[in-house]
Amino acid sequence: MFPAAAKRDGVLPGFRLGLGYTLTYLTLLVLIPLAGMILFTGQMSWGDFWATASSERALASYRVTFGASLGAAAINALFGLIVAWVLVRYPFPGKRFVDALVDLPFALPTAVAGITLATLYAENGWIGQHLAKLGIQVAFTPLGIVVALIFVTLPFVVRTLQPVIEDIEAEVEEAAATLGATRWQTFTRVLLPGIFPAWLTGFTLAFSRAIGEFGSVIFIAGNMPLISEITPLLIISKLEQYDILGATALAVVMLVISFVMLLVINLLQWWAASRHAKSRDGDAPADAADALAIAGGRP
Amino acid sequence: MSIEIRNISKRFGNFVALDNLSLDIPTGELVALLGPSGCGKTTLLRIIAGMESPDGGNVLFGGEEATHVHARERQVGFVFQHYALFRHMSVFENVAFGLRVRPRKARPSEAEIRERVMNLLKLVQLDWLANRYPSQLSGGQRQRIALARALAVEPKVLLLDEPFGALDTKVRKELRRWLRRLHDEMHISSVFVTHDQEEALEVADRVVVMNRGRIEQIGSPDEVYSSPASPFVYQFLGNVNVFHNRMHGGWAEVEREGDAPGAGSIAFVRPHDIDLDAAPISGGMKAVVSHVHRIGPLVRVELEHEAETIEVELTRERAANLELSAGRTVWFKPRQAKVFAVGAAPAPAPKQPFLF
Repeated sequence: MFPAAAKRDGVLPGFRLGLGYTLTYLTLLVLIPLAGMILFTGQMSWGDFWATASSERALASYRVTFGASLGAAAINALFGLIVAWVLVRYPFPGKRFVDALVDLPFALPTAVAGITLATLYAENGWIGQHLAKLGIQVAFTPLGIVVALIFVTLPFVVRTLQPVIEDIEAEVEEAAATLGATRWQTFTRVLLPGIFPAWLTGFTLAFSRAIGEFGSVIFIAGNMPLISEITPLLIISKLEQYDILGATALAVVMLVISFVMLLVINLLQWWAASRHAKSRDGDAPADAADALAIAGGRP
Repeated sequence: MSIEIRNISKRFGNFVALDNLSLDIPTGELVALLGPSGCGKTTLLRIIAGMESPDGGNVLFGGEEATHVHARERQVGFVFQHYALFRHMSVFENVAFGLRVRPRKARPSEAEIRERVMNLLKLVQLDWLANRYPSQLSGGQRQRIALARALAVEPKVLLLDEPFGALDTKVRKELRRWLRRLHDEMHISSVFVTHDQEEALEVADRVVVMNRGRIEQIGSPDEVYSSPASPFVYQFLGNVNVFHNRMHGGWAEVEREGDAPGAGSIAFVRPHDIDLDAAPISGGMKAVVSHVHRIGPLVRVELEHEAETIEVELTRERAANLELSAGRTVWFKPRQAKVFAVGAAPAPAPKQPFLF
């Protein structure tokens, strides 16, 4: 009766158009530039590439970049969870204001953030002078890089976790309590598994953003080669010396490392989600059959 | 274990949820807390469970003070209306949860946990679903898992908050019979909250009818239905026709609500306590049939009598004999009525469900 409708396999229209658009968009914006970069490095010989990519200065910069990013993302994962939890669960005066504060690092030009943090944490800065008495130097050290990255990536974990925490039913916690679970057991066994995939997403976003961060870091890092020089800065300095090939070589290395790390995190996420992914689809059997089953047997 | 509730009060802001309420629940009874939404029945259940703390009064478990004992230590099983199963855990793990979170010393061995969980799953007839996840189950199955989970910790008291409220009628009927049998086998005290009078009357040993934070009546299902203590109970338990004032013997004297107030009493007549006849009967009143609804074995007839609607329930047979159809003139006569003096008992609030 409806031949046209019969051919379609879904209810939602526009699958082909939608997919086509998505692929074109991603190809134009992501794939072509990245592929171009990799092709461009093809002009280098393998030996040249390797020499550039594995120079002492480059290796140190990878360590600084990925190490600081991982540290910042991990710290934000922990404290972002607390911030998100507090913002969702507890009413307090000025909550909206605090909630709005979380987004500020997104809006602020990163260079401004970098300069502000550098001033605060410098040896004569408001915070830096107190830390200096304790023998802790933040500005112009790798620690400063971590501080800048924490600031810049703060919103990611908080914003990905908030809706998921809002979704948790209070009844689930009450159920756990009546079954004899302590608060800690309820948190680790009931709540955490539910928010874990979103938590990992927040961590990944924060981590990726930190790897690419440039503006805020260069002001606070001190940028000493081998100690506090990040890879993006190394790339810029190569470009300034018209060593375009060298810059691309480093970029390709960053790309590969980032890709592998994101892939690993994604696999982890997929694994975490698939443990109960089965439960998301799958039609519930009819209640009528259920009733018959009870009627048929003894309790 | 017996539960005693002494002078419990609870407010939420200006709203009085429970008003100085006392109730005894003896060991082994299945008690229904019945009332319209907002009457405080769920709040009372949550106070018994320790999820809510009362503003005043005491809760005693087996004679022991338990008002401020944490929910964790009360040894109650709680079943929620919307199941509250742990989504990321399999059915097996959901049921095992209460055993796994025990302190190491009190925790059964893995083999023991396995055995106990599987026994409970057999009890609820869902052992074949042990490895599924909650969202793969139907509503009725989920609620049975929730029940198995609550029973796993061997509670002394089982509390159920509208346990079948989210299920469809057929499953609901099966499950409540099944709950009754389960309760008899487990030898525990059970309290369940419901707004469905049929459910309360069918399942419970005793029914506690609540309204506006107070208890209206406590009694066996038969007592509360056949001798309601107040107009509220009368109206809440089943359909009813309400007649206002001028009640002295002759039915011709009766007027319907909407008449000038001030006179002495209200009469309640159940729709199935009214006789209908096609010819004039002594003491009967004349009315015109406005609607005839055939509902399964019953026929519900709406009559127009002096611009008032009266509801009558008949058997199919009787209705067929009378050849009832809209527009027909009939005579009706209440077989029995319950009369409450206005003022002696609180008059029914206009917002309460009038099941016409």
